[in-house]
Amino acid sequence: MLRLHARLGWLVAAGLCIAQARGESALSEYQVKAAFVYKFATYIRWPPRTGLDASSPFVICVIGRDPFGRELDAVMHGQNIHGRRIVVKRLARPEEAARCDVLFIGSSERAALPQILDAVHNEPVLTVGDMDHFAELGGMINLTTEDNHIRFDINKGAIDRAGLKAASQLLGLARIVDEEKVR
Amino acid sequence: MARSSSIGRKLRWLSILSSGTAVLAVSVTLLFVQIQRARKDMVLRLGSVTELIALNSAVAVDFNDADAATALLSSLTTRPGVLTAAIVVNGRVFAIYRRADVSFPKGEDLQITNGSRFTDHDVTVFRPIVSGGRSLGTLFIRADLREIEETWRWFAAITAFVAIPALLIAIVISQLLQRAIARPILNLASLAKAVSIEKDYSVRAPTVHTAAEIEQLVGTFNHMLSEIERQHAEIQEAHGTLEQRVADRTSELKQANQAKDRFLASMSHELRTPLNGIIGFAEFLSDGKPGPINDKQKEYLGDVLNSGRHLLHLINDMLDLVKIQAGRVDLTLERFSIRDAISEVCTGVHPLAVSKAIEFTVNIDAGIELVTLDEQRFKQILYNLLSNALKFTDDRGHVGIEVTPLDGGRFRLVVSDDGIGIRPEDIGRLFTEFEQLETGTARRFGGTGLGLALTRELVELHGGEMDVESEIGQGSRFGVVLPLAITGGNKMGGQA
Repeated sequence: MLRLHARLGWLVAAGLCIAQARGESALSEYQVKAAFVYKFATYIRWPPRTGLDASSPFVICVIGRDPFGRELDAVMHGQNIHGRRIVVKRLARPEEAARCDVLFIGSSERAALPQILDAVHNEPVLTVGDMDHFAELGGMINLTTEDNHIRFDINKGAIDRAGLKAASQLLGLARIVDEEKVR
Repeated sequence: MARSSSIGRKLRWLSILSSGTAVLAVSVTLLFVQIQRARKDMVLRLGSVTELIALNSAVAVDFNDADAATALLSSLTTRPGVLTAAIVVNGRVFAIYRRADVSFPKGEDLQITNGSRFTDHDVTVFRPIVSGGRSLGTLFIRADLREIEETWRWFAAITAFVAIPALLIAIVISQLLQRAIARPILNLASLAKAVSIEKDYSVRAPTVHTAAEIEQLVGTFNHMLSEIERQHAEIQEAHGTLEQRVADRTSELKQANQAKDRFLASMSHELRTPLNGIIGFAEFLSDGKPGPINDKQKEYLGDVLNSGRHLLHLINDMLDLVKIQAGRVDLTLERFSIRDAISEVCTGVHPLAVSKAIEFTVNIDAGIELVTLDEQRFKQILYNLLSNALKFTDDRGHVGIEVTPLDGGRFRLVVSDDGIGIRPEDIGRLFTEFEQLETGTARRFGGTGLGLALTRELVELHGGEMDVESEIGQGSRFGVVLPLAITGGNKMGGQA
């Protein structure tokens, strides 16, 4: 009786796993990445900025060709970060990036990456990208794909220099990289 | 012995049960409290571990990093009591840790989000995984009940090293106390038994000072014994005195009786000698041997003769009676015809019957002919009864003799009359020597007062019995039951 019960438990659990696996595969890569961008923001603390308060919107910017399509807006819609309303902006020029809280740099901007990073240098802007060696090149968080799973690298030095504070648990999940290695 | 020790055994059981119950109650209460505390502690400790891991695993869950979450759960390996742990997200297992010998979590584990669950073998603590106010899933950790088992072991140790020795000590102490109570009672019981068997009232129970009640019991018992001893002695003494008195009186009476017998025997003898002289010379004179006498003189001489003969008769009766009572009479047994013997006696009293015109009937059963008795004594019995009947029957009355056989080799002789009869209250005195019913009656009918007493003695000498029934004015019936033959053995029957 007990053994039968345990076996039923197995079956139930296995069934759930299959259902979940299908659900995950149904999610597109950029749906997951959009969610990651939101979650990164929840594990990172921004320093207070002059002229901004809790009622100011939390600005998430995308520079370059937008790979998310509508997914980013869908994920962020109606959400807030640390009590601040989320606003999603598309930027054309790097100079606008200094006013952002999160800056997503698409892989189309690989060539313009040094200028863009310069534009937010010493500003509390979390830079997120999904191109090879983004973190090693001075970006803060790079989204990678590994065995069909989205993972991320973190350049802790860049985050510290920007005055941001990442939760230790977040760092624990990431692959920590160093920009000196590449240079 | 089993019975005599029952009070001791009862007291022993009493002490074992009472102290055992107390120890058991305390132990069980302690065990219960301890187990409750152990459960609470387990839930607290396991709960804090679960909360910590839930906090640390939030990011991994958030970023869907099952490997990181699994690694986190693997840190539970260092905790030996943990059986399994799992993170459940949206009703499915996200990450799991389990010891090699533990089966997969149960179905219900996937539904519960908070709290704790106990089963017989394990405890499970559930905690939600929360990040930034968002509920991400549930972590549960299941641990075995080794802490509870620890408590059981602790209980066993307490029982073995404290409770049982304490119980034993309590029993030993109560045993000693119980002996102080039971032993005097048991001693008392055996002493009481000994006293009742041996009737020795001089023993005393030793005084004890263990308990006031028992001391009192022993005291009362001893007092009772003294009282019994005293009364016993008094009774013994009275008994002795009484026996002595009875013996004295008996011997006095015996002596007096013997003296009386001797006196009567010698008196009768001494009286007969001069009486024979008187009668002899009176007959001599009456016969006119010395010379002629006139009618007047002859009449007076007749009176002298009658009186003398009556006196002689009286003296003979008395002598007989005394001899019989003194046991100095032997029966002379001979075989004779009862019919002839009765006929002879009837002839003897015939003149009297004729003079009073009394009708006389004799009825002898044909089956009775020869008997073996003392013939002279038998005739004496019949003569006495007949002369009595004739004496107390008025003129033209009726006197009957009847002889009938009885069972057991006996026969019954009845002499009946229709005379004056006897009052019921006088019947009891009939056979007493010198007792005469109504002085007036005696004077009118004459008689010595010895007849019936002598008759009864003679009957009893033959081993027979005598009875009488009578009604005033209707007559009397004197019955005699005698054996048909007397063998040597009961020759003296009926005589003490």
